[in-house]
Amino acid sequence: MKKITIKQREYDVKKGIEFRRGKAKKLPLCNRSRVNKYTDHAREWIDHHFHEALGLFINKNKAIITLPRVMNFSSEYDTTILYVTAIRILTDNNSGKPSGFLKLQRVNFNELEKISTSAALVLTAELSKWDDSIIQRLRPLVKDWKPHIVKQFYELGFFDLFKNNPLQGYELEKDEKSNLRLVKYIKGECGDSKKARLLREEVCTIVGDSIDKWTFLRSGLDEAITNVTQHAYPDKNNVSTVDKNWYLTGSYNKSKNILKVVFYDQGVGIPKTLPTSGVWERVQQILYKLPSFEQKNDEMLLKAAVELDRTSTGANDRGKGLHDLLEFIKKRGNGNLSIISRRGLYRFTLKDSDAKIKTVGFENPLLGTLIIWSVALTHPAE
Amino acid sequence: MECGIDAPSRVKMKMATLNIGKEFSIDPVGRYYSDSDASGEKFREEILRKKINALSENEKLTIILDDGVEAYGSSFLTEGFAGMVKYGYITSQELLGKIDIQFSDEDFFFYKEKVIQYIKEAKYNSEEYQSTK
Repeated sequence: MKKITIKQREYDVKKGIEFRRGKAKKLPLCNRSRVNKYTDHAREWIDHHFHEALGLFINKNKAIITLPRVMNFSSEYDTTILYVTAIRILTDNNSGKPSGFLKLQRVNFNELEKISTSAALVLTAELSKWDDSIIQRLRPLVKDWKPHIVKQFYELGFFDLFKNNPLQGYELEKDEKSNLRLVKYIKGECGDSKKARLLREEVCTIVGDSIDKWTFLRSGLDEAITNVTQHAYPDKNNVSTVDKNWYLTGSYNKSKNILKVVFYDQGVGIPKTLPTSGVWERVQQILYKLPSFEQKNDEMLLKAAVELDRTSTGANDRGKGLHDLLEFIKKRGNGNLSIISRRGLYRFTLKDSDAKIKTVGFENPLLGTLIIWSVALTHPAE
Repeated sequence: MECGIDAPSRVKMKMATLNIGKEFSIDPVGRYYSDSDASGEKFREEILRKKINALSENEKLTIILDDGVEAYGSSFLTEGFAGMVKYGYITSQELLGKIDIQFSDEDFFFYKEKVIQYIKEAKYNSEEYQSTK
């Protein structure tokens, strides 16, 4: 296999910088002439982001992505989104790509040093989707991974995805200094809410005791799964049944005494589903107070959807599900709920009876919906 | 002299029961048949409606919320309970007069309140029922 040389890579980066400065007409792309010339969103995205800090190496029509050092959806949101989107675009079989288009060959974890629970779950979901699409032929090569990254993904259940599990018989070394324990991820299909019941037992195991007010977290999870079933994968998107999944995990940070529960689906996102939902008229009543240019942005749409029940007159029994997500935090009296969907973030924080709501709009969207509950446990074991 | 007339006896309310966890599902979730195999629509059409219709005049239905059930979402509660009113099977007042919601886990008081709220908010016969089965 002919590999790209360091000299060629340096040339490509230089040309990329020139392009950004308006001094070059085309982005360099190895063997560009061999790829069928056509325009679509995926191709434009790759061309647009190639010159950014995307660790993308291309040989003929095969791409290798090297994950960055740190991945999370807070301080490293932009970088993390870049990589998970690149994986989605390069592994998406539904975009009608011609045979010569770039395909993902490998994802390198060698440089990854730190990854949040939510980023690890999203990454696992994207690789699981890729693995499903190529009939379980992925094989992880962990030789050069950082040991604590191997441990983190092992606890997440990442390696159970693969038929050729390189860690079969692997014994997790007891690390007394390790503060983070993870629940093996749970993967479900539309309507498959019974699996959410598994989470309680797993969380109790890593925390060491039951969690007060658990019923309200489960209620929120059930509504999140119902939303996936009803809205996340509309028929017009031609998503196969195999790909209509949701993913769930939890983590416990012993030193900070914080429990996190993370839910993710790879659907079209809440802002996109609103116009065709039964609550659009009521959402518009909330949005009309905003300037017109803000009415269609994902951040405002998400906020309106979550706060719908608060403003509801009861004339319609729809639209209460997203509000259910807040109850776990409210009943415990502390913690925060974050919802990232497309380009919007909605965060509800409750501390000492003081509730704050923060919304953010992003330039680059998360292709799906990510929900994160984070609570401080009262005692080391509740 | 004995009068032969008994002292008036109190009218006793008979009680039927519906244990959702045992008689329906420990994982009730979703609104329609297409959402799950333990949806609010299924609960209403196949369990609750029949139980309510089978009650005699002075009979109440005791509904046990929490035997094995972890939680309820609003989708299930609105479609399962308020749907009885929405589709014209019974008025809000009548339904609330016929049910007695019980639980042993104090956290489930929240769901009892939600059931009552959704029943009260529902508009009688405001929609025609069409099965999603």
